[in-house]
This record gives sequence, C-alpha cells and structure tokens, in this order.
Amino acid sequence: MSISTLFENYSEYRHIHPVDDVPHNPYKWAMAIDLDACSGCNACSVACYAENNLPVVGREKFAHGQAMHWMRIERYWDEDGREFPDQGARFLPMMCQQCEAAPCETVCPVGATNHTPDGINSQIYNRCIGSRYCSANCPYKVRYFNWWDYPTTDNVWPAEMNQQLNPDVTVRGKGVMEKCTFCIQRVTVAKNDAKTQGRLVRDGEVQTACQQACPTSAITFGNLVDPNSTVHRKWQAQQVELDKDEQTKDMAEGGSELRGYRIYEQLRPFPSVMYMERVRESAI
Amino acid sequence: MADNNNYRDTTHQSDLSISITPAKAGVGLLFAGGALTMHRILCLSALLMGLFSAVGVYAADAQQSEPVDPGIEGSAIDKSAKEKSDSGGSAFAEWESKYFASSPDNTGPAIEQPIEFPHFRHAGDHDKGGMEINCMYCHTYARRSLVAGIPPVQKCIGCHQSIESVRDKPRIKKLFEYWDAKKAIPWKKVHDLPDFVRFSHERHIQRFIFQLNRPVQEVCGYCHGDVKTMTVARRQKLLSMGFCVTCHEVKHPVTAEGGTPIGDQAYWYSMRKPIIDASGIIKAQGPNDCSVCHK
Repeated sequence: MSISTLFENYSEYRHIHPVDDVPHNPYKWAMAIDLDACSGCNACSVACYAENNLPVVGREKFAHGQAMHWMRIERYWDEDGREFPDQGARFLPMMCQQCEAAPCETVCPVGATNHTPDGINSQIYNRCIGSRYCSANCPYKVRYFNWWDYPTTDNVWPAEMNQQLNPDVTVRGKGVMEKCTFCIQRVTVAKNDAKTQGRLVRDGEVQTACQQACPTSAITFGNLVDPNSTVHRKWQAQQVELDKDEQTKDMAEGGSELRGYRIYEQLRPFPSVMYMERVRESAI
Repeated sequence: MADNNNYRDTTHQSDLSISITPAKAGVGLLFAGGALTMHRILCLSALLMGLFSAVGVYAADAQQSEPVDPGIEGSAIDKSAKEKSDSGGSAFAEWESKYFASSPDNTGPAIEQPIEFPHFRHAGDHDKGGMEINCMYCHTYARRSLVAGIPPVQKCIGCHQSIESVRDKPRIKKLFEYWDAKKAIPWKKVHDLPDFVRFSHERHIQRFIFQLNRPVQEVCGYCHGDVKTMTVARRQKLLSMGFCVTCHEVKHPVTAEGGTPIGDQAYWYSMRKPIIDASGIIKAQGPNDCSVCHK
C-alpha cells in the first residue's frame, strides 16, 4: 500500500485480500524454504547480519531478548525420550513472512510499515517513531527493536568496522523497528536494471543474502507471478496458493501428502513464505 | 512531468494571499462585532481570517529579500548568503544555514570548491559565451549509475591540453598543478541527499532523456536548476521529499501512441490503478511507494 491510498480507502482495503483487487503486476516476491534440506547451520543468519548491517549485540543483550537477528533458526527438540547429545532436533529458519494482509501494517500509527505493489511488507526506518505496536501485533515475532544506538554503543561496531557496512542499507538508529525486507536493496537494483533494459526481472536475477549463503540451497526466492520462476513452480507443485487461508489440498479427506505449508495460515495474514515439511529423520 | 517551477509558483501564490488577507480579516471582524445574532460560521471564519492575517504579517516580516535569479550575475546573492551565515554565529545558525536557510528561491549554501569551475563557460549557451557541452560528457555516470559522478582530472586535461588560449588562466594553471602532482581534485559535494534516500540518476536520465527525448539540460535542470548559468554549482532546488513528490504524485501518460507501455515496461507503479482520461490516454502516478526511495 502506498501512502496515497492510506487515507482514502484504508478500512475497505484491509478487508479485501489485495490479490483480488489489485493484481501483483508484474512482481510478487515470495519464498519457498525446504526444511528437508535445511541443516540448521546458521549461514543464512550470518549472511543476513553482513548484508543488512545488523548489530551483533553480545551475550548480555541477547539474554535480554534484544538480539537483532532478522533471520533466526528456530530449534525444535524431538520429544522421543533421548537425552541431549543423542536427542534429535528440527530446524526452522524464521524471518519476516511478508504477509499480504500484514497485521503489523494495520497498527502502525505513522504508516512506517506498508505494502509495496510487489508484495513486500516494507519498513521505512526514518518514518518509524518506535511505538513497537507492530512488533506486538506480529504473530511470528520477527520484528526487532533498536534499544540502543548501536554504532555508538561500546563494542558493537568499533570504528574500523564501519568500513564493512553495506552502503545500500541504512544503519538504523536508536528507537527504530526493523525486520527482514527480502533484501529489498537487491530487488530494487534488479528492477532498475530491468526497467532500463525494457524487460522484466529474470528468474534468479535477484538472490537474497540468506539464499545466496545457504549451502544446501534450501531457500528459493523469486517472482510468484512469473509462471516460469522456480518459486512459482515450487508453490504450484505443493498446491499452496497465496490468497487462501486454508489450502484446498488440506480440506480433502485425510489431508494431503504434499509437504508445502505456510505458518499461521489460519490467522489470515497470507504469508509469502512457504515451508516444505521435513521428511527425513531428525538430525542427531 | 510537472512543471519544474512548481515550487516557485506556490511561493508566489502564498505571497499574494498574504497581501490580501489583512483587509479581508478586518471586514470579517467588523461584521462579527456588529451583529450579535451573526451565524456561528461567520464568527469562525472571522477568527480564522484574523489568524491568517497574523501569520501573514509574521511571514511578511520574516521574508526580507526579493527572490533573485542566481546566475552569472548571482555573485550578489552569494555575498548576501555569506553575510547571513557570518552574522549567525551560533552552532544552530550554522547548521540551519547549511540545511534550511536559503534565499527565497531555495538556493543552497555557497560551497567553496578547490577550483572555481565555470559551468556557464562549459555548458552555457553559445550566445552567452558557453560551449553547450552535454552535461553527460563530464558527468558520465549519470546514465548508468545511482550517482552522476565527478569526472577524473584526466577528462579535464583531455580537452585542456590542446586549448592553448586559456592555458595561462589561474584556474587552468591550478588544474595542471593537480594533473602534474597526479592528485584528484578534492571537489566538495553540492547536492547531498540524506543517507536513507536512494536516488537513481540512471532511472531519471533513462526515462526522460533516452525514452522521452527531452533536452538534456532541461531534464538535469528539474532537480539541479539552471546550472548552465552558474559558475560554481549551487543547490537551487529544495531536494526535500516534498520536492520529489510534486512530480511523483502527478499522473503521467504512461503509454506511447498506440497504447503499448513505453519501453515495454509495466506502467503499474503504485497500488493505484492507472486511470484513462477523456482522450483515451492511460495515466499513472510515478513510483510513489516509500521503499522505492527510502532504503
């Protein structure tokens, strides 16, 4: 949603799923994550730290829940009676799900988080006033608040490490909410190039940092509108549709054999990330 | 594309209204005082008028000098700006003069450059002694990069080594000093945007110059003002978000004749559907989504 539509048809807008009214044309960025391939190595998380200028907060602040990992690996232990060294675990990379009808967008008092025409839930840092309402309303808890002014706080970014900051991403100040943006800086560059050359962004032209770093290629990112894109084919193969709060395949008698699912689908945020369930036994 | 003088026009309009309102307000107050049974709305309007006139008087006081066109003869304005910043003194005044204080046409601060580069000589019109060199001959990255770029010294020398007539001018001597010392000229930035803004020269140049075939100096002038009349470049436009939005909110025709999108690109920039006006031309807003410009 752009600012100009914010005041005019806001309530109406929220009740209609955007796909019905305004088609995502020509882009709808989406992701597919294969949990069967995910080994929980945290490379995606590290890549995200590097790409998006995330501060490494240290042990103490981490314990206070002030970590800034936009991409975090959630860990679920197997409850099969085995003790720690032998206990199996499942991993789930969790980042902003870029909901189509995002709960965070409706509550922002200043419209700092809003929907782009290509389906990304954008966060405008310099507009944010730090009410943290969006974070409270996020069912996935993937929004992170800057409790400190990190560039000037001791031991976060020593002076010489400023050189490694990504110039395409703002270094957020104190009192600002932030979250995964699907590496919007990379998307913008690709879109600009495509526009200049008079074409659409090709499949695989944009890679998110996490996708790029994933050693097992568990993460796929692309344009869901393009019928030839990898991500579209994966969604289609799993019969997961963007604008449904319950998939047709799951309504069938006895459920579905297919692995694709979206988290908290029934809450109707229409998330843009599809996960594929793990089939193999848990890692030990 | 909106008229690039949008900003100036609005200021003039507001000047006009300021000069009229006190008279109106006086009439309104008379009415309100005279009849007790006067309708409430009239009272409200009188109050509002009074308020406007008060603000108007204040604004008229604050606005001291007449708008002056900066140009070759713009040294007067340079001087006045310098005096203004000198008289300020405090850190706040300095900060204010750097970012906000400007002459009525929003001319930015005068910036001292290592060499007083005469833009009017290089890019100015022939009849005013200029060479009419294309902006993108020197600012060569504008068409393919986010930034327009400052040419390397080599580019200056490329021409100036064979222009003997100006070889003894002090500025050219300085230029050759840098060249002989193999040092880059430490130019200072004139048009500086905040770090959270992503502005792409490439997109604007590609669209307006290469797709719509508009004259180069006109297109650059939308944001950079009349650089071809300046010596050292100065910021002439406000370059605030409001300035950008004056163009981006305007409905532009997005199709070439025949109805196909220009350059085969999608015209659907925003969540708003493009509108079709009476003459059948499809119009849509420029990209007006926050994340397009804010990173």
